[in-house]
Amino acid sequence: MSVAVKDPYQGYRGPCREVMERFGITVWCEVRAKTTQGLFEGLLLPRSETSDELHLVLKLGVGYNIGIRHDTVLELEKIGYREARYQIPEREFPTDPAHPNVKLLGTGGTIASRLDYRTGAVIPAFSPGELYGSVPELAEICNLETEKLFGVFSENMSPEHYLILAEKTGEAIREGYDGVVIGHGTDTMHHTAAALSFMVQNPPVPIIMVGSQRSSDRPSSDAAQNLINATWAAARGPIAEVLVCMFGPTSDLYNLLHRGTRVRKMHSSVRSTFRTLGDIPVAMVEKGKVTPIKDDWRPRRDDREVTVQAAFEEKVTIAYYYPGMQPDVIDAMVEKGYKGIIIAGTGLGHVNRLIYPALARANAAGVHLYMTLQTLWGFVQMQVYETGREILELGVVPLANMLPEVAYIKLGWALGVHPDDPEAVRTLMTTSMAGEMTEREPHDGYLILQGGIPEVQAFLEKVWR
Amino acid sequence: MAQNTEPSENRGVRPPPDVNPRTDPALDFPDKPLQDMTPGDYQVLGYMSGLEVHQQLDTPSKLFCRCPAGCRVRKVDAEVLRHMRPTLSELGEYDRTALMEFKTKKEIVYLLERGTVCTYEMDDTPPFGMDEVAVRIALEMAEMCNLNLVSELHVMRKQYLDGSIPTGFQRTAMVGLAGSVPFRVPELGVDRELRIRQLSLEEDSCREVSDVGHRITFRTDRLGTPLTEVVTEPELLSPHELQAGACLLAQVSRATGKVRRGPGAARQDVNVSVAGGRRVEIKGVHHHRRLPILVHTEAFRQLNLLRIRAELERRGVQRESLSIPEGGLPWEVTPLVLDVSSLVRHSNFQPARQAVHRGETACAVRLPGFGGLLTHPTQPGVTFAREIADRIRVIACPVHHPFMTHSDLGAESLSSQHWNQLARSLGAHSGDAIVVMWAPREDAATAAREVLIRAEDALVGIPAETRQAFPDGTTGFERILPGPDRMYPDTDTPPLPIPDRMVSEVRARLPEAPWVREARYRRIGLDARAARVLAVAVWADLFDEIVPAEGESARRLAGVLEKRIPFHSRRMRGAKPRLAEELPPATRLAPAVRALEAGEILPEALTRLVDELLENLDRPVEEVLGRYRRRPGDEERLRAALKAAELRAPLVLDGRSPDVKLRWAMGQVAPSFLGKVAPLEAEARLIAALGVGLEASKEVLPVGDSGGSETRAGEVSAEPAREKETLP
Ligand SMILES: [Zn+2]
Repeated sequence: MSVAVKDPYQGYRGPCREVMERFGITVWCEVRAKTTQGLFEGLLLPRSETSDELHLVLKLGVGYNIGIRHDTVLELEKIGYREARYQIPEREFPTDPAHPNVKLLGTGGTIASRLDYRTGAVIPAFSPGELYGSVPELAEICNLETEKLFGVFSENMSPEHYLILAEKTGEAIREGYDGVVIGHGTDTMHHTAAALSFMVQNPPVPIIMVGSQRSSDRPSSDAAQNLINATWAAARGPIAEVLVCMFGPTSDLYNLLHRGTRVRKMHSSVRSTFRTLGDIPVAMVEKGKVTPIKDDWRPRRDDREVTVQAAFEEKVTIAYYYPGMQPDVIDAMVEKGYKGIIIAGTGLGHVNRLIYPALARANAAGVHLYMTLQTLWGFVQMQVYETGREILELGVVPLANMLPEVAYIKLGWALGVHPDDPEAVRTLMTTSMAGEMTEREPHDGYLILQGGIPEVQAFLEKVWR
Repeated sequence: MAQNTEPSENRGVRPPPDVNPRTDPALDFPDKPLQDMTPGDYQVLGYMSGLEVHQQLDTPSKLFCRCPAGCRVRKVDAEVLRHMRPTLSELGEYDRTALMEFKTKKEIVYLLERGTVCTYEMDDTPPFGMDEVAVRIALEMAEMCNLNLVSELHVMRKQYLDGSIPTGFQRTAMVGLAGSVPFRVPELGVDRELRIRQLSLEEDSCREVSDVGHRITFRTDRLGTPLTEVVTEPELLSPHELQAGACLLAQVSRATGKVRRGPGAARQDVNVSVAGGRRVEIKGVHHHRRLPILVHTEAFRQLNLLRIRAELERRGVQRESLSIPEGGLPWEVTPLVLDVSSLVRHSNFQPARQAVHRGETACAVRLPGFGGLLTHPTQPGVTFAREIADRIRVIACPVHHPFMTHSDLGAESLSSQHWNQLARSLGAHSGDAIVVMWAPREDAATAAREVLIRAEDALVGIPAETRQAFPDGTTGFERILPGPDRMYPDTDTPPLPIPDRMVSEVRARLPEAPWVREARYRRIGLDARAARVLAVAVWADLFDEIVPAEGESARRLAGVLEKRIPFHSRRMRGAKPRLAEELPPATRLAPAVRALEAGEILPEALTRLVDELLENLDRPVEEVLGRYRRRPGDEERLRAALKAAELRAPLVLDGRSPDVKLRWAMGQVAPSFLGKVAPLEAEARLIAALGVGLEASKEVLPVGDSGGSETRAGEVSAEPAREKETLP
């Protein structure tokens, strides 16, 4: 949200602006509007840039906002002026030498925020003082330091941000923090989690990514619980990996710690959107307790050794296969200089014969070709059917149960680290580094309960979901 | 607050004032029951009240999602647990209501049923577009209230942290402002406009299932149902005016024919204050009948709280003497509070003793200068102690009752020896009061703080709060009245322009307002009372459809419908009709009215004719009607009947009084003349034939047709008697 206050016509264009100029009215004026619909009194608010240019917005004394169309206005009279002052309450974050130290890195997603009650603008709360003002529980967990790295929405996170984030994470670890929390928008959180999993190797302390599905300006937000649990996992948790800490069920009960290479956002809006695919989550966390539910995690260490390999080749893409796909799609990628293509194939890792020649041409041009699955669950198995074997011969390398987005991130990273060494890239890609490929899928690694079935119904009646 | 010092012309840009404009409480006014009060008495009290009427709209789907509206289910498919957390306000402060709700530490459980709730209501999916049907109904109601329509709806979030809405706020949009409706109540001497402050369109909340201790459970079927909220100016100046206002608004919404009926479909909140007091809101009253007693009781509760304040002032009690530092356990941070578990453990007072044996903490709070005031009456059968107990009940959420006692009760609970011991430990003087409460340790700490907060509020007089109505006409604390900062824009919903076309469509099809209807009925010849009744009756449309041509037939038809429709409805369905669909079709009754107008039947026959038409729905109209039409030979048949009666009368009624004779004889001959010969004429001829005395002719005869209440006195009271007879 824009917080630039100086424009007296904030957001008003065209006819509304004319009306305002005609009557000498600016935003934050208290006005009496005589209109063809009757008399209205209120505070003239800025207008959102994305709304139409036909309506003036008034905030009434009773708290409601209303819109008045410009051509109904007969007269605007200024009866006062009250400008909003944006301020975030800050209380000094208390420090306690007995508490672990945590570094919170901000990328721009709002985990804690305050709302401007008049405009609805969400103002991120980020400094320790601001965070303490809105989630005071944090002070009972750790001493908190924050650093805002960028101010971008999740969807605008890009490889250049991954590099900075990886370096800053490494720095924080070397500086002696007992854990790192990364605040992130949820849409691409799993991409960033994968990037950090590859770039920050063998960390001695937890690196916990956290966000919120419901903005923190609402009383039902998941933000505070997420932040409290993430901070706990970072400050005091035993697992030194890159983990995503988000709601387990939609109920306010516990968070799950998902491995950064196996996690995926699976629903556009529910709180319990993050799921570990093809495996079970690493741990559950409630305030005051991290309970591992897997046993192959890397424990916290006292040393400060960490390897940061921050590199990324941006000319990498995902080709999401569909039955009518034409070969020129692949050709175009090659022509445009893409160095690697992750195919999200059907079934066990298949594409239509029609595009074989294009794949062969890409392979001949030295483009790295890898196969993953759009089924998300399960393994690429290209030896089972004739089709699969043919595709293998075209130089497409299967990536077991690596998720397509993770494969994309890993290939970008591997090509960034070894720009001129295809063999090294291939070795990296086919070797699991951070759990991105597993040797086995447990029986409950794929568990989407089907609603409506009596036994599922019976289960749902017993639990808070 | 400074609002009431604002120049009144700037009212629209400031929140409406919270305090009564009169600052001089009528402390000497005696407490009187409702029935002894005159409108002048309420004027002395400075009584003011206003209404917020919530009315569910009859739409197929909910307001912001496409779940069906209006379903009530008992089935539970799944449950979700949530908590609410206060969010910071603009000034970096927490809303006082929000903070109170947070103190209750409630676990909120929602019961879900697949068919009636989706992920939207559970705050797991952003809102879909606002239901257009609901928007149109709201516009219609706004037009009927003569409101100034906004040109663009802005969805706002109104915070509610009690859990009744899973998001923690209600989505609501202002539709129209500053209107009025004609407010005419002859029996109260009211004839003016009732000013309507605003109408908004909002989503309904959950239905509460239970609230025990720290867990509150809600059903989600009702959640999200479109609802209009109509707010009046606080200009209803007596409890009965308030009731009349509520009835009027109900009539307006019903006139649209597009609102839900039945339990909980319409609920009113009432704002009440008296001179020196402030706005207190009584929430969720379902029945208009209950309004007068509730607000009357509230007016005197405020007066009594003001008396308590005056007494505290007289005693020189200061705020500071009741304050307690933030943080920590109360019994560790202030000498006003003591942990008295060990003393209570050995007392003879069972409830407290058992609590301590359960492991709960008992604590005592000294209230300096409050001695004797805890038994000061506030409501009928209720004392000031309940103000304190209510706060504990709502905020500390004790499970066991009772959970509190106090020193003004003397040795009814703890022994006087124990009270003395407590007084010594607390350093209490004779003018002080001591409150003892027990609860699990953390809740006892909350409770002790609440006692001191409520006591401090007593120095302010009337705390701004919302109250719930109890069946006995008293009210209890529900929550702190939210501040104006709890409303902010919904960033999930774009503003919704109201096209001119939509407004003109609504205007073109605007239902006739009750007062317009009433005037029309007056014009066609109904008297004032009948016109008022018919204007808001379910059968008004039926009346209009039959189209009585002139005054006499209109009066007759209105009277017959008013008396016979409810009767037949009760007979068939056990209740008065509430929907037009429950009424007989106009085609069943119209021919009778046509026949009446053509002079083919006599007006007196209409009631009986209608009864017969409605009792025998399968009989063809013409067949029933035929029996009432005047035909050649009617005169001969009447003459024969008179003759027969004359002959039999001495045998049956020898020695009985003349009027008994006449009644009997009328019963005998009535079937043969009704609808054909005017009853007065028949009666006169019977009197002549039987030779009974003239005095009998003044009697009320059970055969006439009232045709409306204002017609000849001789006919009026016949109807109720008849109805009683026919009742099962
Ligand atoms: Zn729904």
